[in-house]
Amino acid sequence: MERLLNIDRRIIFAFIFVGVAVPLLIDFSFPIKPTEPVQRVYDEFERVASEDDPVVLLAFSYGASTVPEMQPMSLAILRHAFSRDIKVVAICLWPEAPGLAQAALDTVAGEYGKEYGTDYAFLGYKPGLWAPIINMGQDFHDAWPRDTQGTLVGDIPVTANIRNLNDFNLVFDFAAGDSIEFWWIPFGVEKYKFAFSGGCTAVMAPDLYPFLQSNQLRGMIGGLAGAAEYEKLVEIPGSATAGMRAQSIAHLIIVAFILIGNAAYFASRRRGAA
Amino acid sequence: MTRDSMLFLGFIGIFVVLNAILLVGGYLDMSWTSLGVITAAGLTVSLYSFLYRDNPLFKLAEHIFVGVAAAYIFGIYWYQSLYGEVVVRIFGIGDDPATMTQRLLLLVPSVLGLLILTRMSVKIGWLSRISFAFVVGVGAGFTIPRYISAFLLSQIEATIRPITMDVDGLNLLLILIGVVSVLVYFFFSVEHRGVVGGISKVGIWFLMISFGASFGYTIMARLSLLIGRIRFLLDDWLHVM
Repeated sequence: MERLLNIDRRIIFAFIFVGVAVPLLIDFSFPIKPTEPVQRVYDEFERVASEDDPVVLLAFSYGASTVPEMQPMSLAILRHAFSRDIKVVAICLWPEAPGLAQAALDTVAGEYGKEYGTDYAFLGYKPGLWAPIINMGQDFHDAWPRDTQGTLVGDIPVTANIRNLNDFNLVFDFAAGDSIEFWWIPFGVEKYKFAFSGGCTAVMAPDLYPFLQSNQLRGMIGGLAGAAEYEKLVEIPGSATAGMRAQSIAHLIIVAFILIGNAAYFASRRRGAA
Repeated sequence: MTRDSMLFLGFIGIFVVLNAILLVGGYLDMSWTSLGVITAAGLTVSLYSFLYRDNPLFKLAEHIFVGVAAAYIFGIYWYQSLYGEVVVRIFGIGDDPATMTQRLLLLVPSVLGLLILTRMSVKIGWLSRISFAFVVGVGAGFTIPRYISAFLLSQIEATIRPITMDVDGLNLLLILIGVVSVLVYFFFSVEHRGVVGGISKVGIWFLMISFGASFGYTIMARLSLLIGRIRFLLDDWLHVM
């Protein structure tokens, strides 16, 4: 029992490595059932698709350190939007995000044959945390005078008629930090009352459930699991779906270690009492 | 030679041999992309080597990451913000449509920004207080009403909705019990005995469940990152997937 309680942590690391690597190499699948918050995001995009000349604003607020969670989510959302002929305006509120956003846009726009300017636009990064959100709520063209290629937003067809955030059918934020909770909701949704949903890292997800309850956030995709659920809804399996095999096995290994650790702890305590 | 030194050299040797096999076998070609993949693979493995023990390879990878990230972010800030939004607009470079009034207005935040840099001087460091006073004042003015609206009023409204006799009603009841009991737990003006003690114990249970949920989600997030890196190593680098 003592040996179990003092197990070398490197043995646990080895188990986790095997638990992640092997499921990635073997092709099998666990059932993925979309949860309500993810379904609500999907329904929001479907609602947008049914409206006239729909345009969504996608804010990329994540960096390289959260790519495995956030990039599959971005790709799934972009695929849904472009497959339903929804126009996309992309912005970045994190300095690390522009390269990742550009890669996601290039990939999915290429897949669906979408044209820059008429089907989507990329406006780049702006500092100021929540300040650009207030600015966009008042005057979108003042907040983003040009796109990343230096073209005036008034000259780009997809952004030419956008005056403020209320002109978007939906605003969606991909958040690795607190941009949903502390920027978009207080300074955007509460002030200008536009339709808003978000995707976030799994760490952030528990903090955002109260905003789903209050409908300040209409839908939420949380972490790799949320991205896999969205891939299931749009019926385009991607890296998130593949990653869920490894995620599930690794979780089982962690649960097993927790059970073994607790059993050993209580057994040693009982022996000590005796 | 110590055991760790042998491991260190052995790791480098295996890495070199593996890349040679990948290049000779045609899995990687002689291109900048392949060089990027090999570099990324080396840095990934170096960073994960910390799980065994702190070592020079981990330190090297860590320092490279910090340096590259700082330079990248500086580049973004310079080209898209400082140069693109300040220098270009104030000096009217290219076909910038800003009017003279807009240019002059832009001087105000630019000067306030420059004043913050005076902190580096003992003599004129006091000038930075003007900028900080502006930041604190504007920040508080914007934030306080927005936070009261978003985090208090809207949340209270969502908590005290009429309870219905269905699953949604049960959820609402649970939320109401959770909010009240946790608030009682954090109410320290009354001794936690009797009814108050019982309610605060319910609050502790709600808190424990929420901590458990947060911890579970955190594990999921960290594993997702590990999955991303292992996927990269197995697929993009080793081509075994």
